[in-house]
Amino acid sequence: MIALREVHKKFGARVAVHELTLSVPRGEIFGLLGHNGAGKSTAIGMMLGQVWPTRGEVKVCGHDVTSQRARALQKVGAIFEAPAFYDYLSGRRNLEILSHYSAPTSPERIRQVVDWVGLTGREQSKVRTYSHGMRARLAIAQALLPQPELLILDEPGSGLDPEGIAEMRQTIARLHRELGLTILLSSHLLGEVEQLCTRIAVLNQGRKVFEGQVADIKAARGRVALRTPDFAGATALLRERGIISGSIDGKYIALNEGRTTAEVAKALVTADIPVQGIWHEEQTLEDFYLTLVKAGNTANHD
Amino acid sequence: MFLAQLTNELWKLFGKKRTYIGFGAFVLAQSAMLILFKYTNWQKHFEAMLANNGYVATEYISALTVALIMVWPQVLLLMPLYVALVGGDLVAKEAEDGTLRMILSRPISRARLLTVKWLGGIIFAAVLVLALGVIALLTARVLFPWGGMFVFGKLQTSSAFSLFEPGQGLALYAFSHLFMVMNAITMLSVAFMFSCFNMKPAAATILALSYLFMNMVMQHIPFFESYQNWFITYHFESWFLVFENPTPWPQIFQSEITLVAISATAFMIGAMGFQVRDIKS
Repeated sequence: MIALREVHKKFGARVAVHELTLSVPRGEIFGLLGHNGAGKSTAIGMMLGQVWPTRGEVKVCGHDVTSQRARALQKVGAIFEAPAFYDYLSGRRNLEILSHYSAPTSPERIRQVVDWVGLTGREQSKVRTYSHGMRARLAIAQALLPQPELLILDEPGSGLDPEGIAEMRQTIARLHRELGLTILLSSHLLGEVEQLCTRIAVLNQGRKVFEGQVADIKAARGRVALRTPDFAGATALLRERGIISGSIDGKYIALNEGRTTAEVAKALVTADIPVQGIWHEEQTLEDFYLTLVKAGNTANHD
Repeated sequence: MFLAQLTNELWKLFGKKRTYIGFGAFVLAQSAMLILFKYTNWQKHFEAMLANNGYVATEYISALTVALIMVWPQVLLLMPLYVALVGGDLVAKEAEDGTLRMILSRPISRARLLTVKWLGGIIFAAVLVLALGVIALLTARVLFPWGGMFVFGKLQTSSAFSLFEPGQGLALYAFSHLFMVMNAITMLSVAFMFSCFNMKPAAATILALSYLFMNMVMQHIPFFESYQNWFITYHFESWFLVFENPTPWPQIFQSEITLVAISATAFMIGAMGFQVRDIKS
């Protein structure tokens, strides 16, 4: 549904996106991660024909966005961080206005979508009277009006309270499940991405530093937590016996290749060092992301 | 589809309060002028001037005469201000508010979006000018009788005054507003052009007004007397030429064609700037 090939974007002398190649297949919920200024919004802008790439090819729904923008975006819906509306008009009028930029939309279709997002009864109220959550729902409604196959969500949970974030997460899952949409989700909320996305790409300083399955990240060998009253003595002994390569934060140990937690426990008990607990800790997306970004920043500074 | 988009543009335009600032200002300014005309020495001086020229003052101190006198300064200053305010908002305000990004996530082309917005602005400009004329005439009629029209002031081809019967005066008054609409469209187009670039709405309005005032000042500098045709404000005076006798049609058409060309050029420059622009949050 989305294919970026060696896309490069410069704003003056600053490189915002560097030779980005990315592919989002049909039916996937794809997460785009990166800190502020990493190039996520610029990449999304290029997918929507709002930002012109300096070079490279951007294809959406099989059409080149630069030369066939109208065809490429025919079946695309988008939601942005802090969705903006004409506050002085009603929700329904906003939907009518925005839908007419895509294709003629019947009142029945608008009614269906309003109903789907749960705004029935409030659609005639002025948008300025809407809560943050209602605005988010209106944003979903406007994105759904052209009966999209692809939904691009740029920080959709930004500014929402925990309840709103949970509601947004459920809605995204529902959009994928009930309507079979392909979804590109750019977000800072790593927990949400972890729960929703099947695959992610991480951008750092305009470069893609990772692209892969979320399941693979979780399954990757994590760190081992060790709880003992004598952590320093325990790690010294384990290092001396060649079981671990090092320790992290006074809580974790890094096992050498081929070594097991059973060997750790045996070595410590034999040496009369009490063991209160030892277990593999599954790597979270947050751990993975932070490690990746930290490594990227260190490499750049070097 | 195009009509639906234009209708929606008008909903957006006429749905917000600041669009009506111009209409409100016209009513206030005209009310203040009317009170001054009616209750100060202005009327006595005017009667004396007419009498000195052998005319019966009561026939020509009429709603039509007063309406035209009220319209003059407003066309010169207030009307450009309010159309520039709306023209400067058309694109830049949407970019500032974030709604432009919402629109441009849809398959509408930038050229079509701008065309719809520009046409919406043109309709606003026409409505504003026509409202100015109608409000001026109606409010003047409240305090002054119906009668002939007396027109005076420095005209481009003569400095004499003109007198018209009520019917002819009303027809010319209505006709002059068509040319005023063109003035408003030109000012709106200039503000619209600036609005298409990456700037705040207020900056677009200020730049458009600066262009107007620069023209106004330069037009009145004696050194530029032989370059009058180059100044937008010179062509803005063409609406008043319809009151000259005989009507200088070639000069009026030359000015109108120049204004159409300036408007089209401003639109094209704005469209080109907008086309290459990156729209970011």
